[in-house]
Amino acid sequence: MSTLTPSIEHAGGHDDHGPGHHAEPHSLSLLMKLPTFSRDHKVIGLQFLITTLLMMMVGGALALGVRWQLAFPWQRMPIIGDTIFAAHGGQITPEMYTMLVTMHASVMIFLVIIPILAGAFGNFLIPLQIGADDMAFPTLNMLSYWFMLPAIVCFAFALGLAPEWLSGVGGMNAGNAQGWTSYPLLSALPEAAPGSQMAQTWWLIGLTLIGVSSMMGSVNYLTTIINMRAPGMTLFRMPLTIWSMFITAILQAFALPVLTAAGFMLLADRVMGTCFFIPSGIIVNNAAPTVGGGQPLLWQHLFWFYSHPAVYIMLLPAMGMVSDMLACMSRKPVFGYKPMVYSLAAIAGLGFIVWGHHMFTSGMNPALGMTFMVSTMMIALPSAIKTFNWIGTMWGGRLQFNAVMLNCIAFVSLFIIGGLSGIFMAAVPVDIYIHDTYFIVAHFHYVLFGATLFGVFGAIQFWFPKMFGRMMNDTLGQIHFVLTFIGFNCTFFPMHLLGVAGFPRRYADPYHFPYLEHLLPLNQFITGAAILMGVAQILLLYNFFSSMFIGKKCGRNPWNANGLEWTTPSPPGHGNFDIPPICYHGPYEYSSPLSKDKDYLPQTEYVPLEQRRAVQAKPH
Amino acid sequence: MGKFWAVFFMVFAVACVALCAVAPYCGWWFPGDGKAHSTLGQKIDDLFYLILVIVTVTFIGTQIAIGYVLWRGATHNPNEKALFSHGSHTLEVVWTIVPSGVLLFIALYQMDVWAHYRIKTYFPQKMEPVAEVTARQFEWRIRYPARGKKLMPTPQPDDIYTVNDIHVPTGHPVAISLRTEDVQHSFFVPMLRVKQDAVPGLVIPVWWEMTDTGTFEVTCAELCGWGHYKMKAQVVAQSEDDFEAWKTTTAAEQFYDGVPRSATEVAQRPQGE
Amino acid sequence: MHGRKFSMFRHSASAALLAAASLGLVLTGSGCAKNPEAQFAWRDSTELLIPDARKTVQKTMHESFGTPHDLVAWARMPVQYGGLAPAAAATDDAAAGDAAPVDNGPFGHQLQLGRQVYMKNCLHCHGVAGDGAGPTARYLNPKPRDYRLGLFKFTSTLAPERITRDDLHRVVKYGIPGTYMPSFLLLDKPGTGDVNTKAVIEYVRWLAMRGEMEKRIDDELVDYSLASIDDEIAKAKNSYESAKASGEKADPPPSRSALTRKAAGDFKTYLAEDYADAVDGTADFIAENWIRADEEASLIVPKVARVTDNAASRERGRLLYMSDKTKCYTCHGHTGKGNGPATEDFWPKPGSTEKYANRGLHDVWGNKLSPRNLRQGQYRGGRRPVDVFRRIYAGIKTTPMPAFGGTVLKDEDIWDVVNYVMSLPYEPEVPSAGPAKAPRMAATEARQ
Repeated sequence: MSTLTPSIEHAGGHDDHGPGHHAEPHSLSLLMKLPTFSRDHKVIGLQFLITTLLMMMVGGALALGVRWQLAFPWQRMPIIGDTIFAAHGGQITPEMYTMLVTMHASVMIFLVIIPILAGAFGNFLIPLQIGADDMAFPTLNMLSYWFMLPAIVCFAFALGLAPEWLSGVGGMNAGNAQGWTSYPLLSALPEAAPGSQMAQTWWLIGLTLIGVSSMMGSVNYLTTIINMRAPGMTLFRMPLTIWSMFITAILQAFALPVLTAAGFMLLADRVMGTCFFIPSGIIVNNAAPTVGGGQPLLWQHLFWFYSHPAVYIMLLPAMGMVSDMLACMSRKPVFGYKPMVYSLAAIAGLGFIVWGHHMFTSGMNPALGMTFMVSTMMIALPSAIKTFNWIGTMWGGRLQFNAVMLNCIAFVSLFIIGGLSGIFMAAVPVDIYIHDTYFIVAHFHYVLFGATLFGVFGAIQFWFPKMFGRMMNDTLGQIHFVLTFIGFNCTFFPMHLLGVAGFPRRYADPYHFPYLEHLLPLNQFITGAAILMGVAQILLLYNFFSSMFIGKKCGRNPWNANGLEWTTPSPPGHGNFDIPPICYHGPYEYSSPLSKDKDYLPQTEYVPLEQRRAVQAKPH
Repeated sequence: MGKFWAVFFMVFAVACVALCAVAPYCGWWFPGDGKAHSTLGQKIDDLFYLILVIVTVTFIGTQIAIGYVLWRGATHNPNEKALFSHGSHTLEVVWTIVPSGVLLFIALYQMDVWAHYRIKTYFPQKMEPVAEVTARQFEWRIRYPARGKKLMPTPQPDDIYTVNDIHVPTGHPVAISLRTEDVQHSFFVPMLRVKQDAVPGLVIPVWWEMTDTGTFEVTCAELCGWGHYKMKAQVVAQSEDDFEAWKTTTAAEQFYDGVPRSATEVAQRPQGE
Repeated sequence: MHGRKFSMFRHSASAALLAAASLGLVLTGSGCAKNPEAQFAWRDSTELLIPDARKTVQKTMHESFGTPHDLVAWARMPVQYGGLAPAAAATDDAAAGDAAPVDNGPFGHQLQLGRQVYMKNCLHCHGVAGDGAGPTARYLNPKPRDYRLGLFKFTSTLAPERITRDDLHRVVKYGIPGTYMPSFLLLDKPGTGDVNTKAVIEYVRWLAMRGEMEKRIDDELVDYSLASIDDEIAKAKNSYESAKASGEKADPPPSRSALTRKAAGDFKTYLAEDYADAVDGTADFIAENWIRADEEASLIVPKVARVTDNAASRERGRLLYMSDKTKCYTCHGHTGKGNGPATEDFWPKPGSTEKYANRGLHDVWGNKLSPRNLRQGQYRGGRRPVDVFRRIYAGIKTTPMPAFGGTVLKDEDIWDVVNYVMSLPYEPEVPSAGPAKAPRMAATEARQ
């Protein structure tokens, strides 16, 4: 066995700096640099991770506000109602409800899912998994985090938290209220909605800042992955996490400028009096008629040209990470590595030409609808291939049923539901009916929460040892998983049925429509489940933060995994690798007959030629 | 413990299927009597059920596969290495071609319905819009041409106006001109399976054909501001004769000059209490 | 191994505690905590009374109307509270034989229902007290109606009268186009007899009476308000200063506390001697007004049928529109676009010589108001000819639109104006013709 291969058992012994654990960095060395302008990719990754986890709680709280209103419409809402609307008996206003809906989506998408995947895990894992010291542009990387903080402030202002001198109208009731899709004219005319006054402008500024942050990240990831791989790390020896991050970065780099441009156009419409999206002669709230000859549909095209690829930006990295974790926890190579890579690429490619399926009812040219329908149908194909391959990966494996694995299985299982419900929407005539109903809400939560967030929960617990040199508590992890899984399904599965019943989205009070009256009890059940799910996340946070201090100490490779990141100390010091890695295999050589005494074969472990020949000669 | 988890994930899958199976009996299914009341709506429903069957079969298949894989994984001899396999080319080919066949089938099968719904050359011939429906924050305002006249693009002195009350005749395809006065709205009649956004600056024709008479609720399906949920209207489908008669009485009410003419008319004056 | 177990236990125990704590939080948040109750906001004029007077007014209001959660159905207000009042039920047995359906619900159920409907649909614009100051109100143009003067714009009644139930019914059913008052046509399911609509109308009437009551009592007590004390101090100070300047001897201005004490003393006397009468009188006054509104005699019924809508009639209407008799054009403009010269003037505030800071017309609440653009084809008070007739006949209450009926214009003339005005949306815009010229006057005279 090569001496180049440090493993947990021997990490101490093989260390050049002497015996014992002196060389292992302090387990909180990354955490302690958190408040600094560090250019270390691991610190930046951790900054992103902790920020996004906290934002997840904010977004979740907003969602519970939404659920409360849907379960107990116009009754007293705890906390929000009590503080802001005490004089009205604590009942919230409809514009407050729209704000909750808007900001829940905005926070979850722009401040949680996108940054937790690309920002947190992308930053942390890319150099480690490809064997690089750091990112190609460490300063740019640092800025990408520090551009997110002003974005959070802008979003807080959009929430209605801006001081009155800054926003013109103060108070939480002035939060932005045009949905995260910001369709004009609601978003373009300040008179059109209470929250579409200053709050919407803040929202757009925040969005732009997030865009800048993501763009700096993408450029970095692309450069790093292309240029800084360790010797022997060929493209097809890269872990699927890296592949997915790479493809995500391409998506991001090409789609994001469109959104940024559109955002500026909308901003100009609002504050400079341009009319990109505003047709002429529109009178809203008895303001002067608009003068422009713009087209509101233009925004939808530009917005979805980014935001559909963004759906994959919010999904692909999780797919990659889950592939890694599934292989490790099944002790088995990923089934069909190359088909996995190709299908990732196919999803990304097709992802650019399906945006119109968000606009089937919008009145765009119907012939275009047909095109988008076919491309949308086709994008289901690579997703299906990936699903089959994940199942294939688990097939015949020696499965380790720990919290990481459970979250990954949930990812696959729930992604199937999310994917299958997508087929209803891809069929244009059916979409006409279910568009903008709760069917859609169910669908994208199955994809974004059911798939992505469960993948993220798994990834947090999988890579936590690398961040802090300690394990997260598995029992707590499993309890968290069970509660979240049950809460999640009880919350979102019934929403499919609501959608079929024609329950429209973003309604502050749907029950005054006689055909929806009987759905109130089901909604109350959903709200109960949502509260359960929300409370369960406190377990995750507790497990995460407490394990930094009291988690079981672990060595370099607690999972017996193959990736390069597991050859570094936990947490890795500055410059990551104490032994410059050389990559000899693909990342998934679990249970390989090449390694006799263990069921994994680290990428850095050299297997002599004669041994390989001997194994190849034997049929396995 | 592994076996428990295998069962756990299977219970979840069974629960999903079971919930869908009982949903129609609990009222958690298509609104009203569960049937579409327009011809196109019925086609949409057929397509929905077709996809539902395909999707259910796929769901059950994949979940059984997951359950089997988990069970096998849980019972795997812990002292034995896992199966060492990098994949199977044949399997990849199979599970690429089969789903793509199914997906293409769905895609092509539904093209016709979509074409009839939206593409102008497929529209029923000689269809005059019965009314202009204008969405505004937060109500639907409707303008009808006077009896025996065609709907003009601009208001006419003898037009008939209603609010939140859309009357249409049955027995032949009907069309409305959909527009909005302010922001974007969406005209959604769940029981007819009709939905069309009202886009500022555009006048969009929407057509459907009623299968029977009745009253059907109209909602707004595109966030249009704080009162989005307030946009409640109704489509009242009447026989051709009833529709014309309704037009006559509505016109009479609209041109009412306040001078009581006969005892019956006095009696018919709306009373608030 | 032992250590691991221990740490696991630590983990689980504290996590369980945390989970329990947060669950507890949610539960207390949801149910156990005391509900904040909706409140009727007081008028500024009530808040400005000296403490004794304020408490008295608030007590009277509480006793007569209650709180949003504890309504009081005051029998003196002409509101259909629903059910029979306990007293009335005992005495009016004979009336039960009438054709009218007997309302068997518990007393006050209609008001209760009205409150429910109001809280759900109206509250966030019109406010709990009907003051037009709900949380959404500040974003709306025009502002939601403040019921508390008892005044409404679009009525079918004569100029001095209140609004009828029918009028409110129309507004709720059909909304007010061009404003954020939407149509609640389908508030009630078909065939349920409009119970919700009727109930909310009674509730709105009740709120209007409540608000007017508060205002009128405040007006009675204006001598006991902090504002009047401030005035007095300012006056005394002025005279003292001027006296000092001219070298005369004068009493120094009284201190605020002394004046407040004096006002409190005066108020005690007033309370003992006159207050009850004042409340009584106010209540009677309000009740009479609202009862009269629903009487046949208050309704505007054109004496003649609509004059045939032809070119001649429209021309007569146009001449009247342009005449100095009506001066319609000064506000509505020569072409009817609502941009007459009056919209460029500074107008005085009602009851004072002080002028508004911004140009244009204002309603009695001080909100800026633009005269209707008659070419839009948008009729806030309804598009039936009789609606437009009534607008011209009785004016639009609370706004500068005056009443022409009976005095300035005969009913036939009004119909001519109606015909002219209602033709405007369909006519090409002609350049402003200016006031009528002599030869054309002949046409009007010829008809007469």
